[in-house]
Amino acid sequence: MDPTRQLLDQALLEIGIAAYVTGALVLFAYFLTRRPVLRSIGMPLAILGAASQFAELGARWWMTGVWPLTNLYGSLSLFSACAVTIFVVFAYRYEMDFIGGPVLALAAIALGYATTWNEGYMPAVPALQSYWIKIHVPIVITAYASFMVAFCLSLLYLVKAAVENRYRTGSASVRGVAAGAGAAIDVPLNYAALPGFGAVRTDTPALASAAAAGDGAAQWLSGLPSLAKLDIMQYRVIAVGLPLLSLGIITGAMWAKEAWGAYWQWDPKETAALLSWIVYAAYMHLHTRPEWRGTRTSIVSVIGFASIVFCYLGVNIWISGLHSYKM
Amino acid sequence: MRLFAHVPFGVSLLAIWGLLTLIGVIVEQGKDPSFYAGAYAPPIARLIVRLDLDNIYHSAAYLGVIGLILCSMAAATFTKVIPRRIPRLNPVKIDAIPLHATVHVSGDAESARERIAAFFAARGWQVRKREFGGTEWTFADKNNWARRGVLVAHIGFVLIAAGTTIYWAKGYSGQFAVLSGQTATIPENGTTVELKRFAYRIDPVQTKAGTVYQPIDYVSDATITGRDGVAHNAIIRVNQPYDADGTLIYQATYGFAIDFRLTKDGRPVPGPDHPLKEGEGFAIDGTSRAIQYQRFVGTIDRSTGQPGADPRPNDPGIVIQAFDGDRPVGGALIPLGQPVDLGAGYKLDAARYVLYSGFQYRYDPGIPVVGIGAFVLLAGLCISFYFLPARLFVLVRDAAGGGAEVGLAATTVRGYDVFEERFAEIVEAVRRTEPVAPETEITTTPVLGGV
Repeated sequence: MDPTRQLLDQALLEIGIAAYVTGALVLFAYFLTRRPVLRSIGMPLAILGAASQFAELGARWWMTGVWPLTNLYGSLSLFSACAVTIFVVFAYRYEMDFIGGPVLALAAIALGYATTWNEGYMPAVPALQSYWIKIHVPIVITAYASFMVAFCLSLLYLVKAAVENRYRTGSASVRGVAAGAGAAIDVPLNYAALPGFGAVRTDTPALASAAAAGDGAAQWLSGLPSLAKLDIMQYRVIAVGLPLLSLGIITGAMWAKEAWGAYWQWDPKETAALLSWIVYAAYMHLHTRPEWRGTRTSIVSVIGFASIVFCYLGVNIWISGLHSYKM
Repeated sequence: MRLFAHVPFGVSLLAIWGLLTLIGVIVEQGKDPSFYAGAYAPPIARLIVRLDLDNIYHSAAYLGVIGLILCSMAAATFTKVIPRRIPRLNPVKIDAIPLHATVHVSGDAESARERIAAFFAARGWQVRKREFGGTEWTFADKNNWARRGVLVAHIGFVLIAAGTTIYWAKGYSGQFAVLSGQTATIPENGTTVELKRFAYRIDPVQTKAGTVYQPIDYVSDATITGRDGVAHNAIIRVNQPYDADGTLIYQATYGFAIDFRLTKDGRPVPGPDHPLKEGEGFAIDGTSRAIQYQRFVGTIDRSTGQPGADPRPNDPGIVIQAFDGDRPVGGALIPLGQPVDLGAGYKLDAARYVLYSGFQYRYDPGIPVVGIGAFVLLAGLCISFYFLPARLFVLVRDAAGGGAEVGLAATTVRGYDVFEERFAEIVEAVRRTEPVAPETEITTTPVLGGV
């Protein structure tokens, strides 16, 4: 292929990785310090990274005429770009900027890992030469990406719930560690007075009391959205992912019927996707009950994302089946 | 019935279903017991075979769990989802509802009430007024129809199960291979498939790791004769099946059948009477020995004598395995057209290869039902997730210092937190459109008390 075009491909990839790594660091710093200027730098970097990745995938398609999602490199690239896009959309709609650090860090890891599978420009094997690849794969990858964003929220929920619980039970050591971390990065003491993080409601009176008494870590935690809000944010992101995953399984079944003669063959990839669907269906059912919302549903969300990673990477790499195409 | 309709019971069934599915993903399915004995420690191998984990998706446990889930869904649907009526229009204590707000507006209560009702009606809310004890209440509902989303999703799931059952009851499937120039018959419906020619295309592609031989196309040129007795020309490719009277015929695989010739002391002796496909074998008459054709090698690397990377038949050979009874006694890679000495005067010649095409066929009358069920399930999920049924309680009274006081409270089928931002937007919109006094107050109270 034309070396100039290869250079464009490489440049867009490098811009994406650089934007994600830098953006992750900046948004982590924003997460810790709440300085609005960091948000103003981090969010454009997230947008730049996702845009350059979409551009890179588009450029590959344009340069080779081959749909770029026929291998693990292409799909992982789309995965990280979609995860960042979903984060950006939710950040602007629901003030979720605080989760940008982990999302961008995971996107950078996914993209970095994708490059290890970048074999170059290969034509698609016969099984992948179908219009369904342009429908099924983007839908499934977008579902995976939204579950990744939900996973970050679930982890934050669990961490905050655990720390709030420590405050509730009066564990001084945790306060000391958290306050020490705060001191080490020279954060301002009066977090509550800083702008951003629209919801400052706390669910734990003990935390509010500690914050009012000047405990830096408690003030920092109080500045995060309440546990109830974090739970709703998770729910909203999963509510994007689950219908997409369902649609992905349905379109996959339609494609399978066209390619293999049966819409369901109990192939490891199909059943692993079914497993993920079951986990998130369980999440949704649990979420209908107020007493199960929160920690339990967050744990299910974490398990759900583990099942997604297993379905996406584990089955592709370690288990042979009908989806074991050339990576 | 109450147990089956209990959500944690349903979730427990989902967890068991998930666990069994995970086992099915990890443990290879449908293999011979000897495979598990070789792949796992003896106790685990025995466990896999005895518990039917080698065929888990068709095991009684797996089907039983799905059956229980269907029962649980039916119980929940009939005891919870369908009976769930739209709550009656009753007055509430506004301040006691976590999502509530008070807006002070100008004008008397009567005119303010009309304006507020018009405000919500213009935004798609279903507005109803009721009088309780001389006090007029306004109720505004949105997406009440979406309360049926769960019911729709459950119906979709049941339709998928029904469509699958139709296939088990009336459908059939199978596979066959046809050598070029030969004909095969689908036993279930008598359709004949004559393979005129099979062709493939494999291209060398330069990658960062070196040259990779990438399959590009597999195509069978066939003549298919269905129930009408008329021969139809058919080009069958991967992703492009042929429909023969409702039975779909798919391009599945291909291979190289080998025409073997066996001689003893230079004279032909009986060997296989047809070209053998990979995995097939033949016994050598008068001996305890047998020969199995294991696989085709497109290109033998002459420098090493080993199979080369190029799968295309440039300098082809085959790998054979000799058996004495059931015992393997040796294998070899032999070039095509070059007889090899088997001992005792026997010589085996892999004379030529014949391309064959492997097809799958399937008749599945349940597919339309499964398809409808899938989209009904999806529609149910979308209704449940994206259309939140909500109700606003509005109480407009004359304020003590003049003007009117609009009390607003909101509730949804999924609690209060999910509606908090929307409620704030609604109150803000009311405040913007109404000439208001400055002391508007929006109040929300944590609702997940235990978290």
